[in-house]
Amino acid sequence: MIIELHEFTRVEGNGRAEIVVEDGEVKDVRLKIVEGPRFFELLTLGRHYYDVPDLEARICAICYLAHSVASVMGIERAFGVEVPEEIKLLRELGLIGELLESHALHLYLLVAPDVLGYSDAIRMATKHGELVKEGLALKAFGNRIRELIGGREIHGINVKPGGFGRYPTVEELEEVERQSEALLKLAKRAVRLFAGLGPYGERAKHFVATDGYLWGERLISEGGEPFHYTERIEERSLVYSFAKQGKYNGESFLVGALPRLLLKAKMLTPEAKRLFEEQRERLETGYVSYNNLAQAIELVYSLERAGEIAKTLLDRGINGENVPVEPGEGEGIGYVEAPRGVLIHHYRTDSEGKIVYSNIITPTALNHAMMEASLLKEVRALYGEVGEGEMVKKLEETVRAFDPCISCSVHLVKL
Amino acid sequence: MMEKLKLGVFELTGCGGCALNVLFLYERLFDLLEFYEMGEFHMASSAQGGGHYDVGIVTGTVSTHRDLELLKNARNRSDYLIALGTCATHGSVQASVELPIREKLKAVYGDEGNPMKALDSKPAVEYVAVDLAIPGCPYDKEELYQALMNIARGADPVRPDYPVCVECKLNEYECVLVKRNLPCLGPITLGGCNAACVRSGLGCIGCRGPLPGEVNPAGEYEILRGLGYNGDYIVRKFKTFARWEP
Ligand code: SF4
Ligand code: SF4
Repeated sequence: MIIELHEFTRVEGNGRAEIVVEDGEVKDVRLKIVEGPRFFELLTLGRHYYDVPDLEARICAICYLAHSVASVMGIERAFGVEVPEEIKLLRELGLIGELLESHALHLYLLVAPDVLGYSDAIRMATKHGELVKEGLALKAFGNRIRELIGGREIHGINVKPGGFGRYPTVEELEEVERQSEALLKLAKRAVRLFAGLGPYGERAKHFVATDGYLWGERLISEGGEPFHYTERIEERSLVYSFAKQGKYNGESFLVGALPRLLLKAKMLTPEAKRLFEEQRERLETGYVSYNNLAQAIELVYSLERAGEIAKTLLDRGINGENVPVEPGEGEGIGYVEAPRGVLIHHYRTDSEGKIVYSNIITPTALNHAMMEASLLKEVRALYGEVGEGEMVKKLEETVRAFDPCISCSVHLVKL
Repeated sequence: MMEKLKLGVFELTGCGGCALNVLFLYERLFDLLEFYEMGEFHMASSAQGGGHYDVGIVTGTVSTHRDLELLKNARNRSDYLIALGTCATHGSVQASVELPIREKLKAVYGDEGNPMKALDSKPAVEYVAVDLAIPGCPYDKEELYQALMNIARGADPVRPDYPVCVECKLNEYECVLVKRNLPCLGPITLGGCNAACVRSGLGCIGCRGPLPGEVNPAGEYEILRGLGYNGDYIVRKFKTFARWEP
């Protein structure tokens, strides 16, 4: 017997799970990503480097900037271009905006109804209108930063190899500084709210993140020493899914907010670090459901860090100069933390700066095996114990913890 | 009190941006809800099927058999159908990969089969007739808002018919093509985005698709050649969002 779960839509586009039951026993769970293929790796082949980040942005709307930045970094590394601190800080600021926009959307509109016992955010809004508004305020601020750094809310083209089309003004940075401080109390409230979520899903044994907080030169895992993805991560195709599946040394692993906190607690800002310490014991159990709590703590981190960056830039003054880019034959990998985890863009270029090889690995593909493991564990515990409706609800919560791409779920949209 | 119109959003293959952008209307979404009642705003699985829509919105390209069924279903159930975003109107980036589907699948997935019934990506408008097409990758929120408001009032939505250049002039942006020699497709791209990219001092990459009518891609091609861009580069740029022949 095969049980099909529908409505499983916050996976980049369309996905669903299939539970295989034989002789009353749960044999397997398959996570099927059925969204049509878009062939981004082919799309960039033969293209001039200058146009590539704008194309890659189109992979995902919720985290377009993570894709542009990862792409730009891969290209710069292929050409041996080093950008100064100012440009690095501005890119980081953009990624923070995206983290805020994405986490707020996910936590307040998708997860909160579970915590408070509503079927969707709109129903929840009648009693908890303030909360929904708070979530929207955080999201709007995140989008405002994306607009400033990325060029527009979705698919802006402002992030370029060597720098930016346009740099933010003093007034705009002051606005970022002010707003991030003003919104901090909302984020702290979010941590209290999402601390109420219990442990479910599988316990992750391996965690992977970039070696810097939101981007890096390499990856790290619980061992600590940096490595390139090619050394430990393997991706394979599945007959039942358009998304590939990644394994770490042959095993399932987790990327995302929880691994970032566990592996990089030292890099956290003061208040975020304090909150992390408070929740440390639970987070360290490694249950994937605590990814949501980790996201809430990251809201605090993002706002504190955005304020820090704005202040640093205001103190030193914005130079606004791009670094010259000389295209040439080379190879480079961009590692970025998309809101839902490690994102990898790997390119080889020819002497004219055209792309001759491209490999893109998304967090959803990296978490795919862990999602299947979590579903399997939940199904084994629930099968025969609860009705199908209840089981589906639980499984959806489990998948939701990973925040796979496309958060516009049934929850949000059944008005 | 007037009856509200029923509105449905149907998502085919895309990045999700065009659907997400509806939510980025923020409080104006609630203004729209004065006139519209929201039906499905999501993939309509067969289980959810049924029901009639006064206005249907379709985003994304047809890239699987499943997309195609959903699209036909959306057309049959909607009185007024809007193709929203460049995926739906012109095919956008995924339609620009010019290889037969089997070869594409093989190159990326290393598999010669096609168990999931993928198709070559094509815009929704190539399969069904639509009543309004709003391009943009993603479209401009204001344009969608005004269009839905007009439809609710029984008026025909405004359909822009000028190039991006006009909006640069109105905003007094410096011409990046002439002043900075950047490759800008503004002269041959349909306006309506308020020259969003030129605001960043960068060239338009053509995300709203070609300006219909008297557009002169050959002239644009010559200008870019004159600036030293090579022919292959220019042609690929032209074809990124819409598969037009220069
Ligand atoms: S038109 Fe662009 S923004 Fe809209 S769904 Fe397609 S790729 Fe995404
Ligand atoms: S300027 Fe061009 S690329 Fe930018 S949004 Fe407008 S049409 Fe799209």
